[in-house]
Amino acid sequence: MMSRRATVSRRQLAFRITAVAAVFTLAPACGTESDAPGVGSDGPQSQECGGTDGEYLIGMSQANVAEPYRQQMDDDIDAAAAEVDQFEVVFADAAQDNAKQVSDVENFLTQNIDLLIISPNEAAPLTAVVERVYNEGIPVIVLDRKVEGDAYTQFIGANNVEIGRAAGEYVSTELLPDGGNVVEIKGLPGSTPAQERSDGFAEGIADNQGVTIIADGTGDWLREKGQSQFEAILQAEPSIDVVYSHNDPMAEGAYLAAESAGRAEEMDFVGIDGLPIPSGGLKAVEEGRLSATFIYPTGGQEAVDTAEQLLIECADVDKELALETQLITSENAAEVYAENSTG
Amino acid sequence: MDANPGTTSATPAGALPEESRKRRFVIPERFFRLQSYVALVLVFLAAIVFSPRRGGETVFLNPENLLNILRAVSEIGILAVGMTFVILIGGIDLSVGAVLGLSATGAASLLMVQDWGVLPTVLVVLAIGLVFGATQGYLSARLGIQSFIVTLAGLQVARGLARIWSGGQGVPLAYGDGPDVAPTSFALLNSRTFNGTIPIPALIFVGVAVIALIVVRYSVFARHVYAIGGNERAARLSGIRVNRVKVAVFAIAGLLAAVAGIIHAGQLNQGSPNDGLGYELDVIAAVVIGGTSLMGGVGSVSGTLAGALLLGILNNILALNNIDSNVQLLIKGIIIVAAAGVQAFRSQQR
Repeated sequence: MMSRRATVSRRQLAFRITAVAAVFTLAPACGTESDAPGVGSDGPQSQECGGTDGEYLIGMSQANVAEPYRQQMDDDIDAAAAEVDQFEVVFADAAQDNAKQVSDVENFLTQNIDLLIISPNEAAPLTAVVERVYNEGIPVIVLDRKVEGDAYTQFIGANNVEIGRAAGEYVSTELLPDGGNVVEIKGLPGSTPAQERSDGFAEGIADNQGVTIIADGTGDWLREKGQSQFEAILQAEPSIDVVYSHNDPMAEGAYLAAESAGRAEEMDFVGIDGLPIPSGGLKAVEEGRLSATFIYPTGGQEAVDTAEQLLIECADVDKELALETQLITSENAAEVYAENSTG
Repeated sequence: MDANPGTTSATPAGALPEESRKRRFVIPERFFRLQSYVALVLVFLAAIVFSPRRGGETVFLNPENLLNILRAVSEIGILAVGMTFVILIGGIDLSVGAVLGLSATGAASLLMVQDWGVLPTVLVVLAIGLVFGATQGYLSARLGIQSFIVTLAGLQVARGLARIWSGGQGVPLAYGDGPDVAPTSFALLNSRTFNGTIPIPALIFVGVAVIALIVVRYSVFARHVYAIGGNERAARLSGIRVNRVKVAVFAIAGLLAAVAGIIHAGQLNQGSPNDGLGYELDVIAAVVIGGTSLMGGVGSVSGTLAGALLLGILNNILALNNIDSNVQLLIKGIIIVAAAGVQAFRSQQR
């Protein structure tokens, strides 16, 4: 095994020797060292904390910056890290490719990063490489999407079931206290957030028997698919009171469809994400196209805060940090936009 | 390295006498043949120059980093070897990324859901890739549909089959003994041999490359491939069974896509229908940078290997220098155009 660092602490060296020895005793027949999860040992936490005098290189591995939410996450991290003199952050974009993201993290290791922030494209394919980083004593902050196992320092993310429930409660108490017809525009089938935002919403409206989901469409998170799906639903359903969409772009697409059918005034549109960008949900609420959206926080600021605690304050952090959502209506949209916009 | 037999035997260029060339500046054909190696060496040297340094060490040249590069290009490299044969006969295969996804999904499903052993899984997945490729070759050769169209359809079919097979979901791999887990030996693909240094996928890539180089150098089949790409009609008239060669070429591309798919599943502990999305474009880029002409008949497997390595080194050095990912796309685009531009110059010179 090659030494990657100029200075390898004694503890790390000892770990490596034991790890290699353990692997050889585990698999003497094939004589290989496996990167597979489960092989190796439980994460030794040799922190890289060097206090306020240190300088730290932080690697941020993003799954796909083509999604506005993920670009915003990078921007938030960039902005937050600019406030900390000791931090330098380098970014990599996996363009939705698991294999590329594995390489990105390997390249960060080659660059000798002091801390890894990763928003994994998918859990299983990234678990092994994240574990490798963590086992070298480098703190790992996992953002938004999880990896398997517990070989990371902290997970920061919002709870999609909670957000769906908050949206459901808002619809059943504020928009439709006397009951009404809801159309649900869903995200990509098979994706966890789509399932969770759907389940949570169903729980949220359960207390109000008058609220019924009369139809749903699959918008795959995309504005154009939200539009075409809702066009078809508009043909079939004469009476719609609320459109609940799993994200803001699909809600905007549905709004466009309703507007061109001349029915936009009949119904309320509710989305999720609330990004503080010109094309985001906050602006859509401020300008009256959406009645409400629920902020799905990026966690960028929180990740940099955690990095500060780990690297500069030498403090321990919780294994999980849950982010709160926030209801956005026309009353607070402009104010929240001004607070959070980094552009 | 191989001698690139096509340029001398099957294409008219080599047969022309020196005086008949009308250009004033004649760049020797030898330069073009070496184009991709020259480019590879240049990029390698540039990587050393621009590499970050740490305590006197050139980070890029760190053996672990070089092995990371080899591991990272192994899948694209294996696909590119198959693609080279397809492009040499003047065809194109847009389905390789999708067949990789189908194979990865299939391998993961057979191991995890059907509880098959490693050997039957690998054999069946390889057979699926082979048959898929051969079918595309047959449709293209027999029905005379352009391979672009056939494999465009094949891309959709392979993605559809993969989604149906796994219900649209990725199939994560877990290892161990007993039901609902995959045999531990499959985890070899995610490991390194020789004291944990050489990644297994890189070894497989090197193996595929060596076999391909031998085939190109010594087999009659390869000569037929070059002949068909140079002039299909002439090849047919000279008694080459063109359709049979075409089917074989697409079958090889499909088989190698299955090999890459199995590696993909092993490396990433998962087989997903979305795996390999857009890989066909990286693969075609590697082949073009390697000096193989999309018109067919001109090019070499060794050039393709150089092209794949060049792309891998480029990705690595851009990442080590933290070049913005958006700018990285521009740089790669420029390099592809430059490689194709040199090719265009080569054919004008004929």
